[in-house]
Amino acid sequence: MEYVVGVLLPQLLHGVVFGAALGLLALGLTVIFGLLGVMNFAHGELFMFGAYAGIAVIGVTQSFWVALIAAPLLVAAIGALTEVATLRPLYRREPLYGLIMTFGLALAFREGARQLFGGDMRRILPPIEGSIPLLGMTYPRYRLFLLAFSSLLLLAIWLFFTRTRAGIIVRAAVQDAEMLDGLGVNVPRVFTLTFAGSAALAALAGLLLAPVFTVYPQMGVEMILLAFIVVILGGMGSMGGSVIAAFVIGIAQSLLTLWMNPQRVAIAIFGIMIIVLIVRPRGFFGREGVLE
Amino acid sequence: MAVVFAALAALPLTPWMSKYYMLLAFDALLFGAVAMSLDLLMGYTGLVSFGHAAFFGLGAYSTAVLLERGVLSIWLCLGLAIVVVTAYALMVSYFATSRRGIYFALLTLIFAEVVYTFFRYTQTFGGSDGIQGLPSFQLLPGLAVDTPVRIYYLVLAYLLLAYVACRVLVGSHFGQVLVAIRENEDRVRFLGYNVQRYKMGVCLISAVLTGLAGALYPGRAAYATPDLLHWSISGEFIIMVMIGGLGTLAGPILGGAFFILLQEKVSSYVQWYSIVVGLVLVLIVLFIPRGLLGFRHAFRRRAGQQAH
Amino acid sequence: MPQPTMLAVQEISKSFGALGALAGVSFSVRPREVFSVIGPNGAGKSTLFNVIAGLHTPTAGRVMFQGEEITGLPPAVINRRRLAKTFQITNIFPGISVLDNVRVAAQSRLAVSGHLASLWRRPAVDDRVMELLGAFGLEHRRDELAQNLSHGEQRYLEICLALATDPTLLLLDEPTAGMTPGETKEATALIRRIALARSLTVLLIEHDMGVVMGISDRIAVLHFGQKIAEGPPDVIRNDPQVIDAYLGGADD
Repeated sequence: MEYVVGVLLPQLLHGVVFGAALGLLALGLTVIFGLLGVMNFAHGELFMFGAYAGIAVIGVTQSFWVALIAAPLLVAAIGALTEVATLRPLYRREPLYGLIMTFGLALAFREGARQLFGGDMRRILPPIEGSIPLLGMTYPRYRLFLLAFSSLLLLAIWLFFTRTRAGIIVRAAVQDAEMLDGLGVNVPRVFTLTFAGSAALAALAGLLLAPVFTVYPQMGVEMILLAFIVVILGGMGSMGGSVIAAFVIGIAQSLLTLWMNPQRVAIAIFGIMIIVLIVRPRGFFGREGVLE
Repeated sequence: MAVVFAALAALPLTPWMSKYYMLLAFDALLFGAVAMSLDLLMGYTGLVSFGHAAFFGLGAYSTAVLLERGVLSIWLCLGLAIVVVTAYALMVSYFATSRRGIYFALLTLIFAEVVYTFFRYTQTFGGSDGIQGLPSFQLLPGLAVDTPVRIYYLVLAYLLLAYVACRVLVGSHFGQVLVAIRENEDRVRFLGYNVQRYKMGVCLISAVLTGLAGALYPGRAAYATPDLLHWSISGEFIIMVMIGGLGTLAGPILGGAFFILLQEKVSSYVQWYSIVVGLVLVLIVLFIPRGLLGFRHAFRRRAGQQAH
Repeated sequence: MPQPTMLAVQEISKSFGALGALAGVSFSVRPREVFSVIGPNGAGKSTLFNVIAGLHTPTAGRVMFQGEEITGLPPAVINRRRLAKTFQITNIFPGISVLDNVRVAAQSRLAVSGHLASLWRRPAVDDRVMELLGAFGLEHRRDELAQNLSHGEQRYLEICLALATDPTLLLLDEPTAGMTPGETKEATALIRRIALARSLTVLLIEHDMGVVMGISDRIAVLHFGQKIAEGPPDVIRNDPQVIDAYLGGADD
């Protein structure tokens, strides 16, 4: 019982938080892919930018909370700029080019961050210190905050996509991008806003997780690989599926680190993906008939 | 092309060919061959493989493992490489081709990452140091490939064979279906083709060609390390194809050679290197998507294109 | 004695999540007849074709082709059984020549296809391909990139692709979509001629009532995913339900 409460439970909660962050990333990937037709290989770098933008803002304002608002906005702006300058010209071309483009952007971003900030690990101190007793264990308050915040955030996103007109349109367009043409919306603007929005989400995830993990230029790489696995398992075009798969992977990852070293965990997650693909080739929620 | 190959064959005879340049030429031709085989997937079939380094690295390790144990016959090394790479490629291509095109890119990347993680972080094959200090392999007992000139001719022979194979493939019925898949995959299905089988086929062929190239690499470097499996290598392969031109055979060879030479010059600015690579890629995709050789194709098409 | 059935659609229903597209549609198509499916937009016509051709698996019901069940089989397999479909939105191979377009289609039937030898052989189908192109007046465009063809020519190419796979049953999804009235008349006559010449059975979706009435042996009318009428053109033309739902109300 000691073990369950003292070790397993906290790790489970870590996994939920990590899963929420993964969910934000995977959601962004799914929406961008469904709407723009581009698999954004640079999404992990937007996550990383969020953390570094946070460091920069904190350096100026000494406030984590200001950074929480400013950093995602900064990264959203970068995202919007990137989309307009590099992705927009590609929409009429074969999807192959978008892939290669975002791959190149990822490379440039990664190295750019390394040049700007140095390759050393950086830390952001948690804005909320200390632990409190919870369900028989002591749990860091900041992580509790993360749990609450990410739940609220996901709730807000869910509401956006189901209750607001804009959200419903985007959600439908993710399944079938051509329908936008018939609606009289300013398609390029929608694309840019969507990209910027998902960039902001990724950045937010990056900043929120930064006090828990360390900040370094490669931090986006591992996340993006996991996010890809999530997207594959969740079924492309299914936003709900992405989020659920994110939690599954997040929790699995967190629990497995109790028993294996990080590299073995990576291979184990990969193994899980293979097994799921064999048993359910379309992932958890893939849609039939899209010639998947 | 025959002229080109003849010129290449004569290359070692030119007066200023030092060992350094010979090895550089080796690299240029070897990676050119890899780029060409990747173009079968990318340019001809429209599938982007982000994990091609795995095929290359597995080939290299196959050779390294045998050489380390004193098995010096190049034929056995190549044979093992074929077996290993085929097994891996079968697995990857099966999963990667069973769903829409984007999954191919994602799954090749993920599989390759796992292979990299395995070789880098486990001690089975030497961990991060890899397998070092290898002897040269032999064509026949007593005929070792141990001078730069010999290894150069070896890679030239390989490039020639690979080129001929690709030429035949591209002109065949199989090749035509590949192009059709690139142009409109769904339609091909409705014409009665088992598209997955074709995709797996080209993936296997591309993988084996790349793996054979990888198997030759330790002959030049005398080592095999996990760096060969890293995704950045996969990225470099893609850049080579993009520089040279999608959808041609000679283009990627040129692109590979160009990239190797570029790398030599730019890597003196070691710090900036990756940014340059990334930016080059971005610029190429935006402004010369058809690459150096594909460019004239782009012109021809644009001239006849109607407004959409 | 009952006529042998080429295609039997039995109680086909199809829903996409909560969206019901087809509900209990049934009809049979006889060999060598031209059978049209008409109905307002959103009636489920294209969905029906997609179910028959294997793109979707129906939620309920069966499709029988030449006495054998083909429900839920993949499109490639169904095509091999000699059922070919064209697409409402032109679905050709834009970046290669017209000749290569049809060549790929024609080669799918050869023995070498799918075998190891296809890695190096290049089958000689040019005669058949040129004959097909000639039937549609496209032989002089053989070297042109498919994307450079006019809209009407592309629609013809679309049909050529399907025909090149040597089908017994041809599904044409709005073959004259986007054509001018003159082109439409020509195309209709051409389709009729070719169908007769090759003893094809044709299942047709069309919006142009002139085409439908002129070319069809029998017609089925779909409305909100259900079949509301079936019969020869004269019967359909005068059916009150059909007039209400389709012919009378909305203009065409």
